[in-house]
Amino acid sequence: MARAKTVANKKINRRRGDSFFDFSLLFIVIFLIGFGLVMLYSTSSYEANLDFGDSAYYLKKQILATVIGMGFMIFVALVPYHFWERFAFLGYALSAFLILMIIPFGRVANGAKRWLNIGGFSLQPAEVAKLCMILFLSSMVCKMGRKIRTPKGFLAVMLWPLPICGMVWKITSNASSAIIIFGIAFLMLFVASPNYKEFILSGIAGVGAALLIVFIISQAAAEGLDYRGARILAWLDPEAYASSTGFQTLQALYAIGSGGIWGKGLGQSMQKLGFLPEAQNDMIFSIICEELGLFGAVAVILMFVILIWRFMVIANNAPDLFGALLVVGVLGHIAIQVILNIAVVTNTIPNTGISLPFISYGGTSVVFLLIEIGLVLSVARGIKLKDL
Amino acid sequence: MGFFMFKTVHRTKIVVLVCSCIGILLLLMVRLCYLMAFQSSYYEQKAEELHERERTIKAARGRILDVNGKVLADNKTVCTVSVIHNQITQKEKVISILSEELKLPPEKVRERVEKYSSIERIRSNVDKKTGDRIRAYHLDGVKVDEDYKRYYPYESLAFKVLGFTGGDNQGIVGLEVKYEEALKGAEGQILTMTDARGVEIEEAGKRRLEPVPGKDLVTSLDLNIQSYATQLAEQVMESKQADSVSILVINPQNGEIYACVNVPEFDLNDPFSLPEGVQALNEAEEQDLLNKMWRNACLNDTYEPGSTFKIITAAAGLEADVVSLEDHFSCPGYIVVEDRRIRCSRTTGHGNQTFEQATMNSCNSAFITIGLRLGTEQYYSYFKKFGLLKKTGIDLPGEASTIMHKPENIGMVELATIAFGQSFQITPIQLAVTASSIINGGRRVTPHVGVKIVDPSGGEEILKFPEKKHIVSEQTSETMRSILEQVVANGTGKKGAVEGYRIGGKTATSQTLPRGSGRYIASFLGFAPAEKPTVLALCIINNPKGIYYGGQIAVPVVRKLFENILPYLMAKAYN
Repeated sequence: MARAKTVANKKINRRRGDSFFDFSLLFIVIFLIGFGLVMLYSTSSYEANLDFGDSAYYLKKQILATVIGMGFMIFVALVPYHFWERFAFLGYALSAFLILMIIPFGRVANGAKRWLNIGGFSLQPAEVAKLCMILFLSSMVCKMGRKIRTPKGFLAVMLWPLPICGMVWKITSNASSAIIIFGIAFLMLFVASPNYKEFILSGIAGVGAALLIVFIISQAAAEGLDYRGARILAWLDPEAYASSTGFQTLQALYAIGSGGIWGKGLGQSMQKLGFLPEAQNDMIFSIICEELGLFGAVAVILMFVILIWRFMVIANNAPDLFGALLVVGVLGHIAIQVILNIAVVTNTIPNTGISLPFISYGGTSVVFLLIEIGLVLSVARGIKLKDL
Repeated sequence: MGFFMFKTVHRTKIVVLVCSCIGILLLLMVRLCYLMAFQSSYYEQKAEELHERERTIKAARGRILDVNGKVLADNKTVCTVSVIHNQITQKEKVISILSEELKLPPEKVRERVEKYSSIERIRSNVDKKTGDRIRAYHLDGVKVDEDYKRYYPYESLAFKVLGFTGGDNQGIVGLEVKYEEALKGAEGQILTMTDARGVEIEEAGKRRLEPVPGKDLVTSLDLNIQSYATQLAEQVMESKQADSVSILVINPQNGEIYACVNVPEFDLNDPFSLPEGVQALNEAEEQDLLNKMWRNACLNDTYEPGSTFKIITAAAGLEADVVSLEDHFSCPGYIVVEDRRIRCSRTTGHGNQTFEQATMNSCNSAFITIGLRLGTEQYYSYFKKFGLLKKTGIDLPGEASTIMHKPENIGMVELATIAFGQSFQITPIQLAVTASSIINGGRRVTPHVGVKIVDPSGGEEILKFPEKKHIVSEQTSETMRSILEQVVANGTGKKGAVEGYRIGGKTATSQTLPRGSGRYIASFLGFAPAEKPTVLALCIINNPKGIYYGGQIAVPVVRKLFENILPYLMAKAYN
């Protein structure tokens, strides 16, 4: 009886809303954003008060971006995702155009020219490019069909993202975003292609090349290296470059180390008082470690694990490959940023500016992440309940 | 469309992808465990060093006491006035009150008040009363911290021995710098947490490390002897219009210094002010004048000792057996050495005289003869043996070295002049100590002012100074004492006799360089009791006007000193 009743209810739901809505994903995201806002306020209030006379300066801006992002998310979630397929190439062209617009109209902040001012809001085209690349590649792979198995098809998927990556890297001098865009493409291709060999080989080649570069730089004299080379030396021994390239890393390690197992308690960080540069931004995870300890840090990572797990469930149950690839793209985007951010903060890899999704300060980032979540929710709505 | 292509292979790949990501995240968790559990204390300590700021609490400096326990250098409470920029609410009021109370130009105060810094010192060493008054205004952002400052109750007394301290209570000259380690103690600390700009964080709390007060230095200086010697020196300086007068009183048995006077002396509580009427043109000149003012002539400067040096020549002659009490010398009023005719003090000549009489007469001819008999090599080896060529090792800073010819440059003429104390320079302390060692039985003592270091929390350290035995034989020492007693009893030192005491000594009158300038140094070295000397006094009068003979002007000073201090010292020894 009970089962029959549930099935009956579901049938009614399906008839009424045409599909189910993934509230678990939504709640994980809302939890992460809420937690992020608390940590953002804790991290930035002291400096914000000194710099702007308003301890909630960063918090307010982030809340505004979050509200805007939520609006977009709901809209995107309600629109069937196939609607966006027709804009795939347009999106690609748009991101290229926006990046090019930086050359004449870009705004400089923190020593880098990465922002465009549009209607009173500042926009980071690199974030737009990430979203557009996910859409573009999903559509492209679906259109290729079986051709993806051929080397030519494989190369095509690999080559299309490169111009955008190159532009992000050179024009906005944002190597981190270029790497992320390329990483998203790589992961999407990995899922799309039935092969393993190429990926394992290219993975080994990539790791090998990275190790070789590190080895060469560590042998070379410190002078004569550009700032990336210097960063690698600082990564190998941050304390030897404590006052220059190793400064931020070392300050992050101080924060992480001071946290201990249980942390100093929410709001009790010392490193956020101007010692750790970009504390509310790329380095926010180290303040989480300092205030909430190993316990809190592991909890945050587990939240991201659950989020990624949820993406996997949605992708594997997506009605079609296009939807699955969209979800995979978003999954790749978030996973790459989380992994790289934590790896940078813990000095596991050389320092490069990557923000922690949903938690780091950054308006464009949160808006576009929420749009991506909207896409995933839209894909989830297409899931037929009997598949679950 | 490729919808139908969504197959198991994609699902597997997605699972592989997600599992890899989770695997990497697990590795990062391991990394976090390593950093936050095992490396935690290392980074925590480093971070703490970064966040903590130390504010030092001055330690009370140890006192300097005389031999009877009278305090010669003490501490008094003073205040340091500083402002904390961020806490000031009434800026103009703060500026006007501080400039008025601290007697500083308002512009200077304004500059410091307006400077954006965590804490800015306006003035240190402010009188406690002034500090209390400023505190009573209850101005926001104005801090009055109590502090110690050196205080010398006897003002100028023993100026050049005690020395004084600078703005941070560190010793600058004299005993204050020599015994800095013992006197200074250890500063305490107030540790506070600050943000990266150095602003203190109130709620983070404070840690306090109490300061350790410095140890007291007990000296051999005797306030009574020092004050009386200072009076005598001032009197003779005034009556003879001399440039300066030094009186050194030491115990020849162990080298303890009872008094060390160098007039003119200045107020130790205000050592950085030039004496009235002296104006420096610029900073360098001012520093130069101050340095001159701070010099201790007894050991920082050298002079030609003149006839007092005959004590050394005589002792060397006796030791080398080139002269004995039975020897006779004939003095025609001069002596010819190589091609030079060197005049004796009495131009008509002393005639025929014994060695003892020659010393009583301070006859240059006789002593030149002794010097020539010794010869350069032997004479020089005695200088070395007596310790004349090295510093005395006194526990005061800046002792000057002996300026002596190199042995290879000493010809007959130089040898002759050295014999009666000319053509080279030594410090007064060097002369006094060498003479002490010759008359005390041949023990070369180290002159010293410090006797012991007393820890206020209990325990004391007796200071030890080296002693070199047998620089002359007991026999020579005894002969020297009796000859020098005769100098005072019947010779040039006649005016030095004190009724009831046996006094020994030697006078000197030396022309300063350049010769013929009419500038003289009159001096007398006296000791008592002659049979076993326990006190030795050296009085040096620099450039006296009028009568300039040591026997006439320096001897009476020492006599007056002995008349007063001998009964006092005997009474003390008896007790």
